[in-house]
Amino acid sequence: MDGIKAIFNFLADPRLFFILSVVALVFIVWKRELFARNAVGYGLMAFLGVFFLFGLTDENFVLIIAKPDNVPIVALIFLVIFFTWYAMREAVRNDQRMATGDDPIEKQESDRVWVWPDLVYTELIALVLCSAVLVVWSIVLEAPIEQPANPANTPNPSKAPWYFLGLQEMLVYFDPWLAGVVLPSLIIVGLMAIPYIDTNPKGNGYYTFNERKAEITIFLFGFVILWSSLIVLGTFLRGPNWNFFGPFEYWDVHKLEALNNVQLSEYLWVRALGTSLPDNILLREGLGIILSLAYVTVLPYVLARTVLKRYYEKMGATRFYVGAFLFLMMLSLPIKMLSRWLINLKYVVSIPEFFFNI
Amino acid sequence: MAKKSVGHAYNIDFLNVVFAASSLFLFYTTIWMVFDDFDREWKGYQRNFVLLEEYVTSLGLQAAQAGIDQDRLQELNAERAAAEQQLAQNQAQVDDLEGQLADVEADFYRTNQEYNFLKADYDVARYDYEELREEHPDDAEEIRPEIDAMYERWVDLGIQVEELTARRDELRAQIGQFTGGVTNADSEIRELTAEATRLAERVADLQVDFVGDVLLNAPLLDFMAPSLTVQQTITPNVVDELNFIRFQKMDRCTSCHIAIDREGYEGYPQPYRTHSNLDDYVGSASPHPLAQVGCTVCHEGMGQSIGFVHASHTPGSDGQMHAWEEQYGWDVPHLWDYPMLPTNMTEASCAKCHRQTVHVPEAENLNLAYGLYERAGCYACHTTAGFSDLRKPGPNLTKIDAKLTQEWVANWIRDPRAVKSSTWMPRVWYNSNTSTPEDLVRNEVEIDATVAYLFANSGEHEFAVASPPAGDAERGEALVNAVGCLACHITEDMDRLAAGARRTFGQPLQNIGNKASYEWLFDWVRDPRHFSDETYMPDLRLTDQEAADVATYLATLDGPEGRSAEATYTQEDVTATLLDYVRSVLPTAEAEELVAGLSPEERQLELGQRVIGRYGCFSCHEIEGFEGAQPIGIELSEEGSKLLPRLDFAFVHDIPHTKVDWFKEKMRDPRSFDRNRVLQPLEKLRMPDFGMSEEEATLFATAIMSFQTDVQPLAAQVPGSARNDALREGRNLVRRRNCVACHEIEADGGDYVQLVDDPSLAPPLLTPQGAKVQPDWMYAFFQEPISIRPWLDVRMPTFGLEDAHWNTAIDYFGAISDTIGEFRTHLELTTADVPREGEELFELLRCQQCHVLDTIPADQPTDNLAPDLRMAYERLQPEWIIDWLRAPLEIQPGTRMPMFWTEFPASPYPQLDADGPAQLEAIRDYMLTFRGGPSPLSGN
Repeated sequence: MDGIKAIFNFLADPRLFFILSVVALVFIVWKRELFARNAVGYGLMAFLGVFFLFGLTDENFVLIIAKPDNVPIVALIFLVIFFTWYAMREAVRNDQRMATGDDPIEKQESDRVWVWPDLVYTELIALVLCSAVLVVWSIVLEAPIEQPANPANTPNPSKAPWYFLGLQEMLVYFDPWLAGVVLPSLIIVGLMAIPYIDTNPKGNGYYTFNERKAEITIFLFGFVILWSSLIVLGTFLRGPNWNFFGPFEYWDVHKLEALNNVQLSEYLWVRALGTSLPDNILLREGLGIILSLAYVTVLPYVLARTVLKRYYEKMGATRFYVGAFLFLMMLSLPIKMLSRWLINLKYVVSIPEFFFNI
Repeated sequence: MAKKSVGHAYNIDFLNVVFAASSLFLFYTTIWMVFDDFDREWKGYQRNFVLLEEYVTSLGLQAAQAGIDQDRLQELNAERAAAEQQLAQNQAQVDDLEGQLADVEADFYRTNQEYNFLKADYDVARYDYEELREEHPDDAEEIRPEIDAMYERWVDLGIQVEELTARRDELRAQIGQFTGGVTNADSEIRELTAEATRLAERVADLQVDFVGDVLLNAPLLDFMAPSLTVQQTITPNVVDELNFIRFQKMDRCTSCHIAIDREGYEGYPQPYRTHSNLDDYVGSASPHPLAQVGCTVCHEGMGQSIGFVHASHTPGSDGQMHAWEEQYGWDVPHLWDYPMLPTNMTEASCAKCHRQTVHVPEAENLNLAYGLYERAGCYACHTTAGFSDLRKPGPNLTKIDAKLTQEWVANWIRDPRAVKSSTWMPRVWYNSNTSTPEDLVRNEVEIDATVAYLFANSGEHEFAVASPPAGDAERGEALVNAVGCLACHITEDMDRLAAGARRTFGQPLQNIGNKASYEWLFDWVRDPRHFSDETYMPDLRLTDQEAADVATYLATLDGPEGRSAEATYTQEDVTATLLDYVRSVLPTAEAEELVAGLSPEERQLELGQRVIGRYGCFSCHEIEGFEGAQPIGIELSEEGSKLLPRLDFAFVHDIPHTKVDWFKEKMRDPRSFDRNRVLQPLEKLRMPDFGMSEEEATLFATAIMSFQTDVQPLAAQVPGSARNDALREGRNLVRRRNCVACHEIEADGGDYVQLVDDPSLAPPLLTPQGAKVQPDWMYAFFQEPISIRPWLDVRMPTFGLEDAHWNTAIDYFGAISDTIGEFRTHLELTTADVPREGEELFELLRCQQCHVLDTIPADQPTDNLAPDLRMAYERLQPEWIIDWLRAPLEIQPGTRMPMFWTEFPASPYPQLDADGPAQLEAIRDYMLTFRGGPSPLSGN
């Protein structure tokens, strides 16, 4: 028992958690025929079910899972995994049909639109069921009155609403102006820009993967890994003082984590060159500034000439550069996370004199 | 999905089934929702209470019916029957009168209505006229006659109304002559059976009634006018603090605790039980009525909540906790910062409004807790508002060499309670975080260094008598038992809490023979201030011989040697320990240099100073070299309001994580939060261990919980007035100087009476002192006490207080009797001024049989003896003498002074026309002519 719990606690370490998630994504995309099997999908659900049932035997696990605020996030885990699998299964089926020259399943029925009674009836049923579930939810999961908020006594951990936990997680790796202002704005701008960047007409009205490989992979990475799994992580694995706790670990306020992080400028000047930091800010942070600028300017240009040449030609310069910029901004989060975990990098550019850190 | 039919995406039959199932699901969940909303804990209690109230009221009804004077009732019924008979005889006449009355009343109704309507119309017309005249004076004059006519008509109608009223009253009076007998009998019967009738009506009200009790309380209908409703008290002056704003408390506790302010439900289970102290709390006649004070200002908890768990109830015992867990799903409250106090700690809340006082009347636990808080000297290390101007609680150590030996001190501080089981001196070493084998050496190093420092910094003391006389232990013991030492000291092994705050005011004397030399004991009991100016120990004015006897006796009190050294150490250990201390404040190189520059002896002294500084010995004791050092503990003035997350439970998981439990654990074992931690010696917790029992821990936690942030407005507090200020200051003073150990004041204290065989041999009651004794005399007596009752062994000591303190005491006594102030009636009388009946009565009542008049009356048991009346003229207040003579028992319950005027103001004695007041005055005036008694004023 304790051995199994220790394994899960170990796997929940953010580094492993993130790396395993990425590995899982690669597996899903690469071995999608295998993943799309019913046995895998239902097996995953069964495994999750067993995991939570097993977890219910643990006091600390129950304490976190059964907190009324957190119960819906448990449902979220099941739903996200199920629908990822379901979409992939349907896509694989269609891809196989199309490979043999058939139309996708949806295409066969595209001459008919069943509004009455099929659509209206199922919508009504959905309405009834949703109402009933909401009623049960509100009765069973209580929201008791608490004392008035006290600015001198904030809860520990202080958590954002569940849908913002991914953003809150970014605060660990980025300066607040980036994690709280720039990146969320870019998410919104990026979502708005999708129809103008993604002009691929295929995959409309039916499930497919082969026709939209890059789009779906980017989406899965952005939504499932960077958004949903960070919500799960923030809900269940972040405890007092925003420290990490395994799912079976007691949330001890005294747990300590050493945050011995190093600036890029310190790597350059103190560790590599063996001198003290220069007084001139531009000189001190020069490397970081150059790297950051190169990341958003030189890198897209190089990509357009090399690995992504095909996309550059297909999309044209404007689309490509806007899309590449947005994509690179998205990637900056995992890059920053990895560099924090692997080399304890704190900031690439650190100018506390102007409250400017990247 | 099942197979598709033509033209449909889904199997409609199947969808029908799904739809039916989900509709049923929604239907049942809706019913569940309505029921869940309807089914509230408090409604169940209110429903049950109706049954209980019916039962209790029926019992009351039976008692009330049984209490009715049946004979009188029969009599009244007979009277009524007779009156009725008489009425029947005159029925024709009455009918005629009633007919007339009906006519008149109809007439009156109509006329009166017309009169009122006309007045309204007239007012409108008059206003129109006034307004018109303002704008168009000429037009106005045209309608003037119309208005005047209206006015006249209205006056006429008024006269008619008056006439009709008179006529109606006359007819009523005429009828009343015939029916009066019946009406009077009815009203007397009503009066006789009022209580029974009221209760019977209440019982009838409580019967289940379909519309009122079932329909209006039914689900979905209970929004209209349900009989089961949430009850709440909104307190006008008692507030809740919401961080930035304070607003009135809203306590809904009475939704379940329905009978909390009603008598008659004392024996019933919670939540129906009456408050356990209705005279002081919640009762409408109590000083803390429910409507003014509410519940949670005292009990804490979440007043707005009407659920058992969310209201943050706190169990009083583990048994109750488990029962609650089972019954209510109770859990340690974590949604409310201020969960209810356990019932035995509720008095901590008194201090929210009764501020800056160590004595709240009736709050016995809190008063004891404050007493112990001072005894243990908590305030010395922990600054505490209200305990700031006190002297250091421990003895002065600046002349320790004259008093103690190094060996004894080392054994003593190693474990004080091993030497004196009742001492408040805490144990600094060998505690739960300093008892591993590695700690032992360091403990011994530190103990010896401390002792060495104390003795090396001890000043010289010259004994007042160079060679004290030899004493007699037996006589000494008798003296100790008689003169009053035992009011503040205990001599035998005794539970510290059983001895209480008053008898541990002075150091326990157990084992004192082991501690101090005979010479020192003699010097000390002879005149404590000779050794220490600051001491609170008063001077009992012992003669040298008495002092020698007492010292001899005390020297015979011996007991265990205490705990001896448990490890040996070398000079290297001393050096290493010193280095550890110095490195915590200096860079290592400098520290090593400093230590290297010291000789071994200097090292030990240097270490001693740092150890004393670390453990804060100087907080309680005067120690050379620590003048003006800051106390080492955190301030506790608002500790009770501290939020739970600010308290570090570390790895202690075996106690509930609540504030109260944290404080209690800290009391039981102050070092326990170091458990399982890896700490360097100087990182360890250093609060010493007082060896507290569970009860003591609870009392100290009560005191700490009472130290709250000042939230309640002035209107909720004891009003500030000269009298209340004097009461507060005085109450503090008589406790801080332990006056209450000997004297009963305001129904508290006077424990000394338990130490004497006969209550009359105990020190006197001081409650009436302000009304009784003249302030000048009292002041002089405080300075130089004289013997008022020479037959008492116990002595009023000389305290040597400053004038400010004596004035506080005098004002306090004045405040108790409401005679505060400078000026007093003063009578200078000579024999010529007094009627001779005074002397006659004095002789007649044989005052001299008990009262001393120069000579102590012979053949009287001591409990009959009374003070010398020659003192009266300068000691007693003339007005008080009158009160005393009239009703001594009212002033001092249990006094032997007879009550001579039992029928006052009538008098059984013929003098002065048997006029009681005049007789009292005469006898008083005669008494005031006596002179020559002992007096503190003249220095006799």
